[in-house]
Amino acid sequence: MSGTTGSTSVRPTDLKAVRDAVLDTAGPIAIAGAGTAADWAGDLDPVDTVLDTTGLTGVITHNPGDMTVAVRAGTPLRALQDELSPHGQHVSFDAARVADGATVGGLVATADAGPAALVFGSLRDLVIGVTIVLADGSVARGGGHVIKNVAGYDLAKVLHGSYGAFGVLAEVVLRLHPVPRASTTIALPCPLEGAGERAARILGGPYEPAALEWVSDDGGRLLVRLEGTRDALPARAERIRELLGPEAADTPDDVWERHAGLVRGSAEGAVLRIGARPSRLPDLLSRLRWRTATAGLGSGAATVELPVDAVVEAHGLVHEAGGTSVLRRRPDGAGLPGWGPPLSALAVLTALKRELDPEGRFGPGRFSPWIQGAP
Amino acid sequence: MTLDGVVRRAFEEALDPRDVICDEVRCRAYECDGLTGYRVVPELVLLPRDAAQVAAAVRVCAEHAVPFVARGAGTGLSGGALPVADGVVISLARLKRVLEVDPVDRLAVVEPGVTNLEITAAAAPHGLYYAPDPSSQQVCTIGGNVAENSGGAHCLKYGFTTNHVLSCEVVLPDGSLVTLGGDSGEQAGPDLRGVFLGSEGTLGITTKITVRLLRTPESVRTLLADFPSVTAAGDVVSDVVAAGIVPAAVEMMDTLAIEAAEQAVHAGYTLGTPAALVVELDGPEAECDVQFEQVKEICERHGCTRLHIAGSAEERAAIWRGRKAAFAAVGRISPDYFVQDGVVPRTRLAEVLGRIAEMGDEAGLRVANVFHAGDGNLHPLVLYSAAAGETERAEHLSGAIAELCVELGGSLSGEHGIGTDKACSMPKMFGEEDLETMRRVRSAFDPAGICNPGKVLPTPRLCGERPGRYRPHALEEAGVIERL
Ligand SMILES: Cc1cc2nc3c(=O)[nH]c(=O)nc-3n(C[C@H](O)[C@H](O)[C@H](O)COP(=O)(O)OP(=O)(O)OC[C@H]3O[C@@H](n4cnc5c(N)ncnc54)[C@H](O)[C@@H]3O)c2cc1C
Repeated sequence: MSGTTGSTSVRPTDLKAVRDAVLDTAGPIAIAGAGTAADWAGDLDPVDTVLDTTGLTGVITHNPGDMTVAVRAGTPLRALQDELSPHGQHVSFDAARVADGATVGGLVATADAGPAALVFGSLRDLVIGVTIVLADGSVARGGGHVIKNVAGYDLAKVLHGSYGAFGVLAEVVLRLHPVPRASTTIALPCPLEGAGERAARILGGPYEPAALEWVSDDGGRLLVRLEGTRDALPARAERIRELLGPEAADTPDDVWERHAGLVRGSAEGAVLRIGARPSRLPDLLSRLRWRTATAGLGSGAATVELPVDAVVEAHGLVHEAGGTSVLRRRPDGAGLPGWGPPLSALAVLTALKRELDPEGRFGPGRFSPWIQGAP
Repeated sequence: MTLDGVVRRAFEEALDPRDVICDEVRCRAYECDGLTGYRVVPELVLLPRDAAQVAAAVRVCAEHAVPFVARGAGTGLSGGALPVADGVVISLARLKRVLEVDPVDRLAVVEPGVTNLEITAAAAPHGLYYAPDPSSQQVCTIGGNVAENSGGAHCLKYGFTTNHVLSCEVVLPDGSLVTLGGDSGEQAGPDLRGVFLGSEGTLGITTKITVRLLRTPESVRTLLADFPSVTAAGDVVSDVVAAGIVPAAVEMMDTLAIEAAEQAVHAGYTLGTPAALVVELDGPEAECDVQFEQVKEICERHGCTRLHIAGSAEERAAIWRGRKAAFAAVGRISPDYFVQDGVVPRTRLAEVLGRIAEMGDEAGLRVANVFHAGDGNLHPLVLYSAAAGETERAEHLSGAIAELCVELGGSLSGEHGIGTDKACSMPKMFGEEDLETMRRVRSAFDPAGICNPGKVLPTPRLCGERPGRYRPHALEEAGVIERL
């Protein structure tokens, strides 16, 4: 059951309206974007109001020469990329749900990331400034419009992975990168056992992969994406094929759409996002009862779809391996825990929640079982 | 001596009594960091040997409400490690072990007192290195780097300390030990690791750090190019970026900075040239070569008067020696100097340098410039003579330059931190609600306010009852950002 049943929706279109929406209401609020990750993390407790951010759209300023862009947080990242592309620039970020219309703010709040995180990191590495609205209507700006800046605490980091429970992202400033001139992907049929060793060989050589993922479809494949200049890329691809042997072959770029499909998961299972030391991933995955899986063998991020009854055990196994896990999509009403055993800094997390949202208005339940009710 | 015997004995129980320093002469060695204008002699200096002792020492502080200041190598340039009166300094200098280098997962686990360069030294046998490279890397500690979110010449392409630290074990101000972050970029919940990074020692003390290591690039190409004007050199940087090239480093020096560096290390820079650029590319060999040709062509197109290409590792090292020495070398051409660390959007470099020159002329002081041109992070060195009574004028000019950067849409600090130095300038960059939110973040970690108090955020005690009033940010006036 969704915590938003019977709630009222407000759809502000500018920063002031966001603040007014927070000040003019009293009870708990769910912050919503495009709805591509509406059920991620803990189950939402009932709320009175849904604060719909999809009216906060558009580029505020794009400085092509500085390679920065400021955008309203409800803008779909896909739309932003389209707007940037004539300048040969983009946000180096490829989470699966970007194609479904996920908003910039929603992607930051869920700490999502795709295969490109191997080189560019997640949005925590690409966001250089934010404007946020807190539960008491405070409007706070952190960071700025320059890529290098250490003045003050980095408020963007507080909101990255906050799942709508700490504040509303109203505006986001991002660092941009040039769109690579050329890109190619090589695939190697390869079961999970053995994938780690292959990945280590690629990472240990001068190949500079832009993405390195193992996927469970077609009996298991290792995907290596290379990006670079048009003249020089073919030679680097050739070296990778030589390293991996005769079974390695170029593959059409749509493998990444299939990869994204696996990350999204299907309606039947429960999707768990996992982070662990990269070399431990193959062994860890071998102990989980997944139906489909993708594993970033250089980045340590994996996404698996499990039968519903395997989730609790999976949280535990990931924790034992020193990793982190968070539940994503699952069947309605599955009643599964969003999080595994508590993280060591739970006291800090709770104290931050208490400082920023003392009445527990935003996203109640998102951090259950870690934080229950008002912090 | 206001810390009474009880507190001292508690520290002596928490640590080895010999590691509790109270003799004033020895304490004096800790009275300042690299910003030597501010000095406070601490009551006690603690020299713990491991994380458990750090935690025990902090627990004593918490119990007796004693403020504490963590200290690495003391090379900070914003007074971050400046002791607090009636407080203790906790030095991490003895936590110096490299605990693990994992060549497969390309990470290292180190204690905070390990120097930046020692990490690379430990990683080098595996063909790996630690990317952020502050000019002070031979002496500054990774604990200090984490606290300052330090940068370096190669951060344009590879990012800053925050992009290379996976996790930190931290002693919180109540003495508890927690881990922020994890073994991968994935984290459960908000990026507490990222909040701690760059918090300038105000949220706790890190006792163990896991850093990412990168593979040593296959190819590195470096050039040094002279230009008839700073504007021409700036245009080169713009064109390189517009060509879709992300250089590993782009550094600029002006006449005065070159003069100082040449006097100090004779690195082969051209005396008298208005501007010199150091451009370095790295990556797979073939790609690197193609882009290096493009960069040379762009330099020539903008009237480059001399193009020196490093033909060997030694020649490359010489170019970098000149650049990295520039800072300290300024001492050779001026008895005293202040260094600033403001950032402007890169496209406004020529404009800000012009304004700085005018402001210097007006103040009757010379300003040398050596900076990270790729990311707009300036390091204007305001030269003055204390003996000639120029201190106040220089201090004023230096502060005005930092605030000018904010007016141009930039930041007070790119890598040196706010510390004691610029806390009172924070209201120039942030509004009251911004600062209040930051205070709430701080309070979540340190409700008792004993962890490096008085740094980063302006306080009435530090800045006067009415800290400099907020003025609208330039971007606000331009309608780019809104505040209510
Ligand atoms: C010649 C020179 C060149 C420099 N070049 C650069 C440069 O290129 N780029 C750059 O970014 N900086 C540069 N710096 C500044 C300085 O070296 C960096 O800020 C460095 O990170 C400080 O490290 P440290 O060990 O000396 O820290 P300290 O100066 O001892 O402390 C700095 C801050 O860190 C805190 N701290 C120290 N250890 C810990 C810990 N374990 N846990 C929590 N907090 C801690 C302190 O409380 C203080 O607030 C330069 C300085 C000099 C003198």
